[in-house]
Amino acid sequence: MSAALSTSEPSYPGAVAPERTRALDSFGLPIRLSEWGDPAAPPVVLCHGMFDHGRGFDTLAPLLAERFRVIAIDARGHGESGWCDAYPWHVDVLDVVNVLRSLDRPARVVGHSRGGGLATDAAIRAPELVRQLANLDGFGPPPDGFGIPGVPRDARSLPERFADFLDDRRRSTRTHGASRVYASLDDLVERRRAQNPRLTREWLRYFVFHAARPMARGWVWKADLRAARGFGPWKPEWVGPGWRALRSPMLAVIGSEPDTWGPLPESILGDRLANVAQLERATVAGAGHFIHMEQPRATADLLLSWLDRS
Amino acid sequence: MSPRARKIAHGELELALHELRSTSRSGAPADATPLVLVHALEGSARDWLPHGEAILAAWRGPVFAIDLAGHGESDWRVGGAYTPELFAADVDAVLAAIGRAALAGAGVGAYASLLVAAARRDLVPGAVLLPGRGLAGGGALPVASGRAPDFAPEVARDTRGGSSAQLASRAACDPLVRACLEDVRPVDYAESFAGAARALLLAADGDDLPPWWRAVRGAPPAKAAPREAAAAVAALAEAIA
Repeated sequence: MSAALSTSEPSYPGAVAPERTRALDSFGLPIRLSEWGDPAAPPVVLCHGMFDHGRGFDTLAPLLAERFRVIAIDARGHGESGWCDAYPWHVDVLDVVNVLRSLDRPARVVGHSRGGGLATDAAIRAPELVRQLANLDGFGPPPDGFGIPGVPRDARSLPERFADFLDDRRRSTRTHGASRVYASLDDLVERRRAQNPRLTREWLRYFVFHAARPMARGWVWKADLRAARGFGPWKPEWVGPGWRALRSPMLAVIGSEPDTWGPLPESILGDRLANVAQLERATVAGAGHFIHMEQPRATADLLLSWLDRS
Repeated sequence: MSPRARKIAHGELELALHELRSTSRSGAPADATPLVLVHALEGSARDWLPHGEAILAAWRGPVFAIDLAGHGESDWRVGGAYTPELFAADVDAVLAAIGRAALAGAGVGAYASLLVAAARRDLVPGAVLLPGRGLAGGGALPVASGRAPDFAPEVARDTRGGSSAQLASRAACDPLVRACLEDVRPVDYAESFAGAARALLLAADGDDLPPWWRAVRGAPPAKAAPREAAAAVAALAEAIA
């Protein structure tokens, strides 16, 4: 038996596996839903961030499940959901809308990071299906875009960069979307820790176990790397004004601690959030970008006090 | 469609490429530039048939017509992801299969042809853009109207109601392609592509055309062409001769 296959599922204090899982058909693609709590209770839908997965809510969801039916989505190309050969933003938003349409009544939606952006756009798309929206540090990239500190921005023209996209499309296959094989779960932990140094190794071991799949020679991420390879016009200055159409109340949450990603400088965040008609803001102490993973109890208490009971 | 069709690959998809004429016209050089026709949104290669004879008379080289993904005899994309940039990649898949070619596109196919003509200037000697469905997209700026998407079938409402594949059998094209009635087409984005194309002909004029079209019309390589498809193709033949 390989080392990978002999690794048993890690446990983590407070983490509870979903009580139910199912696949929802969204335009022919299976979308994995993980559920906790009384199926007859009011629904709360959870949307994870880029290259994360629904099991990242294993510590938050059971706390919310005291009062709600909690439904965590694996976004397309992530977790146990299906892969497709292209991932434009609008279909990810429509997946969330399809989940909302599948429920028996309007829901509260909670999204983290990219999932906060998706949740917000889903609420704009389907206002009648969203009662309340909590956005956990999902307020878009900084004004200079998705740049990586220390890496020079791509100064080439749009057509030159689009040629790269076309070259990439010519190579696009399922194996093209697969990541390399990691020898051990610890290697995955260290890879993720390099990106998110605030997350503890103990939590990451639990998190990456569900983010990766054991193969004969080691582990590969479940996420389709093609999910980050889109092309189209997009401008950071579109982010805030787009929220003027939001009709649901938004609870905008950030962590108190600086992190490798977010929170945005207050001058930028405040300007963007000024477009939200019904806004409340909150800061979770002792958390960076991964608010609910770092402080699940405090995040749950905040959400349970804000989300209404009906 | 009566012309011969072959399948070409774009990633995991198979696209239908129809051959209106697989070789050069008699009397023309055997290596005359091929032409690829790119239909409008919710159309198919069949849309060119009424103009087929006239287009064949206007062009010396081989003439092909693609069915874009989600249209005609081409595969639908699992999960319903369609953007003009992905349609452009469908057109680029044709270039990967047949090599250098000029493009004639209508509607969203015109916009996709613009993107390909700029990014693949070594493979595309010129393109003619024709009006048609999907020409405007959602406009030059994001629309923050909050309206529900009218192109997204509610496949998730009733799990007994049928899968997307079953919906597929009821429609001529994937309803999700209608996302291309909403995508943002900024003027500066279109202009930067227009500036990189080798020859660009625009077969329509007027204030009712979308902002990206009017911007491209003012860009250096762009010239006017007749509105009728075969006449526009004849103008393209002349422009790249």
